[in-house]
Amino acid sequence: MDFLVDSLLSAFMLIWSMDHDFLVIVYVSLKVSSSSTLIASVVGVPIGFFIAYGEFHGKRLLITILNTLLSLPTVVVGLFVYAFISRKGVFGIYDLLYTQKAIIIGQVILIIPIVATFTIAAISPIDERYRKTALTLGANLSQTASMILREARFGIAAAIIAAFGRVIAEVGISMMLGGNAKGFTRTMTTAMALEYDKGLFVLSVALGIVLLTVSFVVNVFFNYFQGKARA
Amino acid sequence: MTPTLYELKNLKKRYDGRTVLDLASLLLHKGKILVLQGPNGAGKTTLLEIMAFLSRPTSGEVWFRGQKVHFNGDKLIRLRRNVVLVQQHAILFTTTVSKNVEFPLRIRRAPKAARGQMVGELLDLVGMGDFAHARAHKLSAGETQRVAIAQALACYPEVILLDEPTANVDMENQIAIERIIRQINQEKGISVVFTTHDMIQASRVSDETVFLFEGKVAQSTYENIFSARVETGERGMNYAVLQNGLRLRVDSEKCGPVRLSIDPGAVKISRNLTSGENAFKGRLVQLADEEARVRALIDVGMLVSVLISKEVFKKMDVALGNQLWLTCPAESIEVFQTFK
Repeated sequence: MDFLVDSLLSAFMLIWSMDHDFLVIVYVSLKVSSSSTLIASVVGVPIGFFIAYGEFHGKRLLITILNTLLSLPTVVVGLFVYAFISRKGVFGIYDLLYTQKAIIIGQVILIIPIVATFTIAAISPIDERYRKTALTLGANLSQTASMILREARFGIAAAIIAAFGRVIAEVGISMMLGGNAKGFTRTMTTAMALEYDKGLFVLSVALGIVLLTVSFVVNVFFNYFQGKARA
Repeated sequence: MTPTLYELKNLKKRYDGRTVLDLASLLLHKGKILVLQGPNGAGKTTLLEIMAFLSRPTSGEVWFRGQKVHFNGDKLIRLRRNVVLVQQHAILFTTTVSKNVEFPLRIRRAPKAARGQMVGELLDLVGMGDFAHARAHKLSAGETQRVAIAQALACYPEVILLDEPTANVDMENQIAIERIIRQINQEKGISVVFTTHDMIQASRVSDETVFLFEGKVAQSTYENIFSARVETGERGMNYAVLQNGLRLRVDSEKCGPVRLSIDPGAVKISRNLTSGENAFKGRLVQLADEEARVRALIDVGMLVSVLISKEVFKKMDVALGNQLWLTCPAESIEVFQTFK
């Protein structure tokens, strides 16, 4: 029990002291996760929109595949991307392995299905009459699309936040594609795994506290936007 | 002669192999108010959506301002900017009332400075000036409808199409909406097409009324329209069984699911017990003065509208709530086969 209390106290002191190494880890985590969430949103929201609004053969199959990909294990994504960006891979010449870009690529693949499926769920309930109203008021197709996206904005915001929550807490991709290089690709989760291996708990606990705080804030926003979307 | 705005020729619309609209011809002249009247499922909304260039007819031609309409390509967007449809249960975007009315002006790139003034004028016109900053989704059905009309007027259209604008709206809003329809037609010269079930409203507001029934223009105005199933009963006679179980003998040979119309002028009512064919006991629930006649609404498990002369009405000496006997002669019932 003393051990746990000591670790917690030391962890809070580490956070309070704003230790440089500690801050770099938090910074790398937030930077990588924000970048991947941004890219996945730019790609995933339009995909979700077109699937929700489009009428085409195989639509249901595509939605089923996207839903299946929601439970994609991070190590599978890590392995898959590794096969492409390792020296022997097709994109080996770009020297991406063990860089932040590699983590971002893996995380984008991980969360595009999340953004897309949540976007579909946000847009599908938008009444067909909204589209007709925009068209009859003289809107062109892009103005109509932007109006529908605006109506679904809270649901889409929830999709993006859920995706961020997924990547900030993942460890498999960051470890396999980032390599846990100190000050460069070491994220909160990979640092925690390493410190655990070394039997040093203070930094792990401190990062755990930060990670939980970030998750809490993310969930507060998620619930806020979900509540707004249902209102 | 006022120029023709719309000319529809041999227009058909089919959904899943079922014909919902089948019009040989329909004209709308510029600056007029045309009312499309008819029961649910008559094809009124389908017709309005085609006239708003939102839905493509399966076959036939639509001519607008003397030009044949091709339901594809960018030209449709330009055409749509002359016509605006206010849907039944109008949709407003989740923002303020004024931003909703501003939307058509914004997408037409109207100067920002002028927009505020235009929005204010339009909201005043529909009597919603005090609600400019209210959240659109907090409005009542009638208020929503009025804001939707202001939003439609912000398109400065040549034609405004209103789908049952007074359905589910209280009396105060109904009167306001009728006033707005007349005002925009007379003061702004906007042609109006609106749909309604209400015959009296149609006669109050319209220059011309077209009655639609089962997707077709009906020559006369059918009333007392009910869904029924025709069965052959004793002695080979046909009976229409209504959804509430009422059985009416009909002269028609048609069988199976049908719709039928009971001529309100041919129905007889009496205060005395009446026996015989197609006679039912009911209660007088509504009375309305219609020039030389009185329209009585009798509840016989369903509401039947009856027209009687004022002379007969006086002799009967009836009051609301009285019990009456109603007889629908078989020849007063017209039977229509429903669309397959």
